[in-house]
Amino acid sequence: MSEASAEHAALEVVDLHKSFGDVEVIRGVSMSAHKGDVISILGASGSGKSTFLRCINLLEIPNAGDVFVAGEKIRMHTSKSGRYEPEDIHQVERLRARLGMVFQSFNLWSHMTVIENVIEAPVHVLKIPKAEAIEQAEVLLNKVGILERKDYYPAQLSGGQMQRVAIARGLAMNPEVMLFDEPTSALDPELVGEVLKVMRDLAEEGRTMLVVTHEMGFARDVSSEVVFLHEGRVEEQGEPQQMFQNPNSDRFRKFLSRTMQ
Amino acid sequence: MDLIIEYQGQLLSGTWVTIKLALLSLVIAVLFGLLGAWAKLSKNILAQKIGAAYTAIVRGVPDLVLILLVFFGGQELANSIGTLTGLWDYAEISQFAAGVGTIGVVFGGYMTETFRGAILAIPKGQIEAGVACGMSRLVIFRRVIWPQMVVYALPGFSNNWLVQIKSTALVSVIGLQDVVYNGFVAGRSTRELFTFMFAVLMIYLVLTAISDVGLRWLDKRYSKGIVRSEDG
Repeated sequence: MSEASAEHAALEVVDLHKSFGDVEVIRGVSMSAHKGDVISILGASGSGKSTFLRCINLLEIPNAGDVFVAGEKIRMHTSKSGRYEPEDIHQVERLRARLGMVFQSFNLWSHMTVIENVIEAPVHVLKIPKAEAIEQAEVLLNKVGILERKDYYPAQLSGGQMQRVAIARGLAMNPEVMLFDEPTSALDPELVGEVLKVMRDLAEEGRTMLVVTHEMGFARDVSSEVVFLHEGRVEEQGEPQQMFQNPNSDRFRKFLSRTMQ
Repeated sequence: MDLIIEYQGQLLSGTWVTIKLALLSLVIAVLFGLLGAWAKLSKNILAQKIGAAYTAIVRGVPDLVLILLVFFGGQELANSIGTLTGLWDYAEISQFAAGVGTIGVVFGGYMTETFRGAILAIPKGQIEAGVACGMSRLVIFRRVIWPQMVVYALPGFSNNWLVQIKSTALVSVIGLQDVVYNGFVAGRSTRELFTFMFAVLMIYLVLTAISDVGLRWLDKRYSKGIVRSEDG
């Protein structure tokens, strides 16, 4: 662990709350990820795990709580109409650029080729010269094993290939933390492996990752920490070996027995 | 045929007026269409209501009525403002400006619906992916929405545009010398209405055929990677 990261967590979330209408989906969740941490967020559907992840980069605006990216707090305030909202959208955009996100449904831009997808944000958000961005993108596409398809359009790729491109797109921003929102849930079973392998490689490289997933094998074998959410609260968290072998909470034990069948 | 050649000056100048009218009103229609689509898709309730009222009014009233209203009503309004403020005695509303403005604003209503539908056809996740990368709203519009919106909007846009070219003929009622007005005048003075109206018809067909070539070019240019399916 470097000195800078000892000072600040790569990502810190403090007492986050989020409601949709009258339903409180996240009821005070805190979490911190240091450089190199791989945190798997588990939970039954409806436990709020995806919503939690989407609140981190403000795709959903939380109702309360703070998010710090590499020690910098996303400034929030309460508007005149009483809504909790970001104070400065430019700050939010700047910090979002430091958090890579991989979605369940890939969300590649369909009018751009693979390589265009990967260089888009580096060129148009980070203002990196195009030639440099292309060079970087080719390295990343090679890493996720899809360089030979760099001039294909997303519609010409399989789900697994699209997701690997989406991972390269996130990495191209050289983010502090990569956020994965159920990255394998929309894939045909035979394509899950190729995506998990890429994620495993990233973990080994020391990428900081937050992964909302249903892949118990990944959570147990790859992550450095597991967080189990239940009804919007952290029900149990800890080291994967310990949690999987010897869960403290009944709910997590039941969850495990249901999902490991 | 000799008659047409004799009057070709009038027909050509009329055609030129029609082309200018159509193109300038198209620019206005696209601008109003984008604004209208933005308003209707906005989270702001006031903007939504203004957008809804706009499309309801301009699509619900005959173009002819609006043109007459703008031209004659605008004339009276300009005069009474002049009298009231003492700034001018008599102001004349240009027929051309009234025509361009009215047709542009009316077709902006149709474009609003076309653009709105096109924006909604873009998978929401692609916009979210832009947000997540830290793109500003402007960058998202320019890089993600616009290039795909053009493809989805093109069929509706083409339709609106053809109707719009033809609607420019309505300005002849306020005395603007477009191709219909000039053809009609020439036809009456030579008592060869059929000949001249046939010539006008051919001119419109040429204009719409040229448009078709342009629209095909646009479609080819923008439809890269877009597969018309739920994929993506």
